Amino acid sequence: MDKKNLILKKLDEDVRFHEALSACMNCGICTAICPAAEFYKYDPRAICNIVQMGNVDEIEDLLKSDTIWYCGQCMSCKTRCPRGNTPGMLITVLRKVSQELGYFTESEKGRQQFAIEQIVGKNIVNFGYCVHPDIVEPFMHPEQGPVWKWFRKNIESVAPRFGAVYHQEKAGALRKVDDNSIDEIRRIFEVSGGNELFDTIEKFSEQKASEYHQNADHDYLMKVYTDNSGEHSK
Amino acid sequence: MNTFDSIIIGAGPAGLKAADTLANFNRKVLLIDTDAKIGGKLNLWDRLFPDFSSSQELLNQLSKNINNENVTLKLNTNIISIKNNDNHWMATDSNGNTFYATTMIIATGFDVFDAHRKEEYGYGIYKNVITSVDLEKILSGEVSIETPSKVAFIQCVGSRDEKVGNNFCSKNCCICAVKQTIELKEKFPLTDIYCFYMDLRMFGQSYEELYRRSQQDYGVNFVRGRVSEISPTMDNKVVLKAEDTLLSRPLKLTADLVVLMVGMEASKGTKILGNQLNINNTDGFVKSTDRYLSDSETTLKGLFVTGTSKRQMSIPETMNDAVNAAVIVNNFLNTL
Amino acid sequence: MHKRYWNNYQKEIAEDHYFYARSCIRQTFFSGSETAFLKMMTDELGKDIFDDSRQHTCTGIGYHSDIIPLETISTVIARLFSLMTEMGYENFVPSCITSFGILTEITELWHHRPDLLEKTRELLYKATKREFNVPKNIAHPCDIIYKFREDLKKNMKYQLVNKDTGEPLKIVEHIGCHYAKAFPDRGVGGAEFPHVLVGMIESWGGSVIDYPERRHCCGFGFRNYLVQANRGYSLSNSNKKLESMAPYEPDFIVANCPGCTMFLDRWQYTVAEMEGITYDKHGHGIPVLTYEEMAGLLLGYNPWELGLQIHQIQCEPLLDKIGIAYSPEDKYKDAYGKQLFPPQKPNNLIV
Ligand code: SF4
Ligand code: SF4
Ligand code: SF4
Repeated sequence: MDKKNLILKKLDEDVRFHEALSACMNCGICTAICPAAEFYKYDPRAICNIVQMGNVDEIEDLLKSDTIWYCGQCMSCKTRCPRGNTPGMLITVLRKVSQELGYFTESEKGRQQFAIEQIVGKNIVNFGYCVHPDIVEPFMHPEQGPVWKWFRKNIESVAPRFGAVYHQEKAGALRKVDDNSIDEIRRIFEVSGGNELFDTIEKFSEQKASEYHQNADHDYLMKVYTDNSGEHSK
Repeated sequence: MNTFDSIIIGAGPAGLKAADTLANFNRKVLLIDTDAKIGGKLNLWDRLFPDFSSSQELLNQLSKNINNENVTLKLNTNIISIKNNDNHWMATDSNGNTFYATTMIIATGFDVFDAHRKEEYGYGIYKNVITSVDLEKILSGEVSIETPSKVAFIQCVGSRDEKVGNNFCSKNCCICAVKQTIELKEKFPLTDIYCFYMDLRMFGQSYEELYRRSQQDYGVNFVRGRVSEISPTMDNKVVLKAEDTLLSRPLKLTADLVVLMVGMEASKGTKILGNQLNINNTDGFVKSTDRYLSDSETTLKGLFVTGTSKRQMSIPETMNDAVNAAVIVNNFLNTL
Repeated sequence: MHKRYWNNYQKEIAEDHYFYARSCIRQTFFSGSETAFLKMMTDELGKDIFDDSRQHTCTGIGYHSDIIPLETISTVIARLFSLMTEMGYENFVPSCITSFGILTEITELWHHRPDLLEKTRELLYKATKREFNVPKNIAHPCDIIYKFREDLKKNMKYQLVNKDTGEPLKIVEHIGCHYAKAFPDRGVGGAEFPHVLVGMIESWGGSVIDYPERRHCCGFGFRNYLVQANRGYSLSNSNKKLESMAPYEPDFIVANCPGCTMFLDRWQYTVAEMEGITYDKHGHGIPVLTYEEMAGLLLGYNPWELGLQIHQIQCEPLLDKIGIAYSPEDKYKDAYGKQLFPPQKPNNLIV
């Protein structure tokens, strides 16, 4: 199948695609309250319009651009659209296709998927958490402030004060997720395409990293995690 | 038994004009309205687009025309059921009175969209958010306000909106907004006016010219983008959020007054009767047999429909439609 | 006049027997809130709520940052449902707003596309030999507290009232976007004037502030916070809200989403340090509470067990305003009573 048909087919195949966009009348109600449009050079209405016009070259450009990575997935657009569209969900589908075709590494914001996969993705399959105090490193999160530093330093003896069972294998906050549950999560990732997506992100990131004469390792991760051309915001 | 040639339900412009026309054919007509006065929604407007003629003068004329022995007017009468019995139509009111006629004309019209339903616009919450109907009272001088420095008009409130269940365009609010911006500018020449639209539907004769005048002679600003929400500010103004879609840019506007251009829905009476007789469309308006060839007829013999109980119409369109319905009814009566 | 427009139309919220699903973010930053919620459910309300040791993330944050396929998140959720089913429960209570949104979205999808539910059943079985029932009721803990707010009030020692002036406290309520923006009928009061926090605040004596950016996102934005290069988005959106509410001089902010609570707290600190700006008059910042913390304080729970000392904006001025008793010496003790060296003081923000 040629590339153009492949893009359209991939969009069409996703159940969320048709739910997200039926017919947009370019009213701008979504853009009006979009936090991403407020901050970035981003316009969800325009994205709906490009997709609905169906020009594959333009859609391909979109999939390779920073644009689709700006959305914050707040779904404020869904509440208001007078045509029942959900631009935020359209974005989800565009991002999915961009990753599957390896287009995401063409943009600075897209390349960040590698960092998210390495940090959040690996945390899920290794520890059963998206977020856990152990991965909120104060040095990577200066905005967390001195209180967070204090908590992290004293977590073992302070967390129980809040009723947490940090790293213990029993019911409660911050418990260690038991090995059997972790095994089951991993098998779920195996059979449901979760691992495949991780592999895809890693494979294309590896290719991109080699263009920078790097491996997709810690250095590349830090690069995509911090790179900011300064060209994105309004 | 009260027997008439025709019972017309609804004494708005459609009902009045149909009654007048039938009376000229020497038909006995019973004209019923649930209100205490005739005129229906015509009473909500002060001056009419596109020529700023007075609604009250029109109403006086319509009223004079039905003032003859062929027309019996019954106000304060709420018809709750219509039945057909042996080629006779019966209309029963909420007090249990029944009226009989050979034919029946539904002229129950439209309701103005209830702006409370569009929660995000804060109608009924923020006192400076009003509807186009409320604005008429200001324009007529019935209600007075201080000179606003900035006023925003919002088009398509309750129309073209799946969220409130109205996919249709109400057709008249665009030109009505143009009319109202000009009137407001005449009243308050220093006020800045912004009109948020998605499409400006200037379908009628001289509407486009009026739109041009509003820009050229009155400096009204038209912004292409639908308003997403309205919220209050500290100093009792409101702020609107929209996108200027021609510039691809979100924008915020602080205004002293916001006018919601409320749309036209099938009226409650239209919905009730249409439902009862199973002659309504999914949007609640009554369905005529054929929009091209038999637009006054319904699928029920002897039952006719006219005006905005069928669909959104302007006042001249409504009255022309009513004449048409009356001719058709008269022809029908001739065949009996 | 506020009372008129925050609609209290109700969604269905189960009476009793809940399966509790913890939130990654809430337990990370506000574990005391989860503990307090369970305590309110059992000790104050006498309800049955189960906290399973085998539970795990819903992967929602991964899903909304696009590293988790729909099929995977559906199946992970299905495992949580299977734990619920196994333990004999039907009412699912996710502590996280992101989870709540995801569960609503996916169960809704299954409702319209039974083939996708079937597919999920197959995947879960293939991976784990597990089976599950779809919950009868999904309610967020804030819904439950809302539902029983009058019962809780009976046990409360304090009110949301300034003890010196007798005036109701002025409170900003922030509703997490994923609570009702996607499915307005699943939130108490809908998406435009959600009543869930307003109901608590008004029952417990406070008053609510309506301000221009009330419905604006806190700025989390998933990938926009997770990746350092993007955090300007998060900061700028939080600040937009804070700037917009500041003139109304709120006594505190309460949020139903743990992410929002954390961001509105931390970004105030960041702005104070970067630009010397605070959003209150005195330089303390505006305290940001979870609804469990708000309820817990009024019930007389120890603020240091609720975990208020691990917010960056400190709560003492607020506690004093309400007249809540607390012991300053205990603030930085650990669980075993040992006095710890307190956190470093920020340069600008007064703590
Ligand atoms: S709100 Fe809906 S119809 Fe309007 S521009 Fe956005 S997607 Fe299109
Ligand atoms: S989901 Fe994305 S597109 Fe929609 S309002 Fe939020 S940030 Fe904007
Ligand atoms: S006439 Fe204009 S304002 Fe009214 S619904 Fe149609 S497009 Fe909208």
